[in-house]
Amino acid sequence: MESLLYSLLFTLVKVLIVFLTALGVGAYLTWFERKLAGHIQNRLGPTVVGPFGLLQPIADAIKLATKETVIPRGADKPVYYMAIIMALVPSILLLAVIPWGPGFMVNGKYIEPIIADVNIALLLAFALGSLSVYGTIFSGWASNSKYAFIGSLRKAAVVIAYEVVLGFSVLGVILLAGTFSTVGIVEAQIQKGVWFIVYQPVAFILYLYCMLAESGRVPFDIQEAEAELVTGYNVEYGGMKFGAFPLAEWYVNVIALSAIAVVLFFGGWDGPKILGPLSPYFWFVAKTFALVFFTIWLHWTLPRFQAKDITEIAWKILLPIAILNVIITAVVVYIF
Amino acid sequence: MEYVALGIALIVALLIALGQAFINDILGFKKRDPLEDYPYECGVPLYDKEARGTFKQGYYILGLLLILFDIEAAYLFPWAVVFKDIGIYGLIEVIVFVGILALGFIYAWRKGALNWEM
Repeated sequence: MESLLYSLLFTLVKVLIVFLTALGVGAYLTWFERKLAGHIQNRLGPTVVGPFGLLQPIADAIKLATKETVIPRGADKPVYYMAIIMALVPSILLLAVIPWGPGFMVNGKYIEPIIADVNIALLLAFALGSLSVYGTIFSGWASNSKYAFIGSLRKAAVVIAYEVVLGFSVLGVILLAGTFSTVGIVEAQIQKGVWFIVYQPVAFILYLYCMLAESGRVPFDIQEAEAELVTGYNVEYGGMKFGAFPLAEWYVNVIALSAIAVVLFFGGWDGPKILGPLSPYFWFVAKTFALVFFTIWLHWTLPRFQAKDITEIAWKILLPIAILNVIITAVVVYIF
Repeated sequence: MEYVALGIALIVALLIALGQAFINDILGFKKRDPLEDYPYECGVPLYDKEARGTFKQGYYILGLLLILFDIEAAYLFPWAVVFKDIGIYGLIEVIVFVGILALGFIYAWRKGALNWEM
């Protein structure tokens, strides 16, 4: 009984550390993105609040939290609130299956820096990734606004195209590793001494496309399309309710999907031991942040596709490549 | 135990989401303005009060195909995990399985089901 209570408490502490850190980093990514966008566009970005504008996210959070609640007339109130929950919960829960480093012993107790080391971790990650689309659909439906409605239907078009490709693109990695467990996949790469991107470069490119599409980043951000839909599905949300959507989709989701990409293709916490016992964590965070940086960089560089082109690229080009990749990988794995 | 951890994570995530959803109702101003809840439109009155009408989305058949191919991917996931144990049998089976579905895919493509409906 004592040990059960102890382990429950320990899990709660782990959950709080991971989630609150991720949300804090997500909030600070807004500052980073604005700064980066500023320098890409030959501006300075935020400079006023604090040194280098570093206190800007805190000022934004206070401003968003103290705003008045405005719900458009004719809105479906329960669904209107549920959209926020459906957008945030799956994105945050994705962080539960990410292994931040190898397990270690403290006082004769084995501790793993992962919230839930389940053997279906990847399946869970993709299920949660699919669930997060309901946040967009609900918000578009509940707001009683044409802009939000069109935005959410466009998001549906993107999701029906990239769900399938995402499923097929990771099959190659699972074939090589022989497990769904995120810890198992990283250990398989360390054991082989090769990151899976060397064996599966095509799968990584497909995954990258799907990651951008799932998190609504450029060039697949037609559901937001500032110029035509004035940010689309969340146009009728205000205050912290508005803040929840970009936080979930653009920041927490991108962090989580980048971390899963690192697990699948870049060897997880594998890397030279330059910081002693902390180096696995350093390498994991550094690789994840490199991918996040790449995503934000693309966001401020590329134009966006039409909904028509996005679905047709996925079904006519990416899906055949993904299926061929799976079959070829299976044959090669069988021969060797 | 790992699934209990997942449950705890779900509860914490729900609490965070509820906090974000309702913080404005607690901290925000309460003074109402007669037109503040008017749905967004670019400076003109709304054409119709109800936004949820009929809408041409152009991907009805693609939505049907999604179900087919997502289930195909779901069948392949367990196969990929045990592939090393079942050997040549698994390889031939999956080539037949994917081959049949690829025929369906080519049929759909030739029929124009993959095109965006204008």
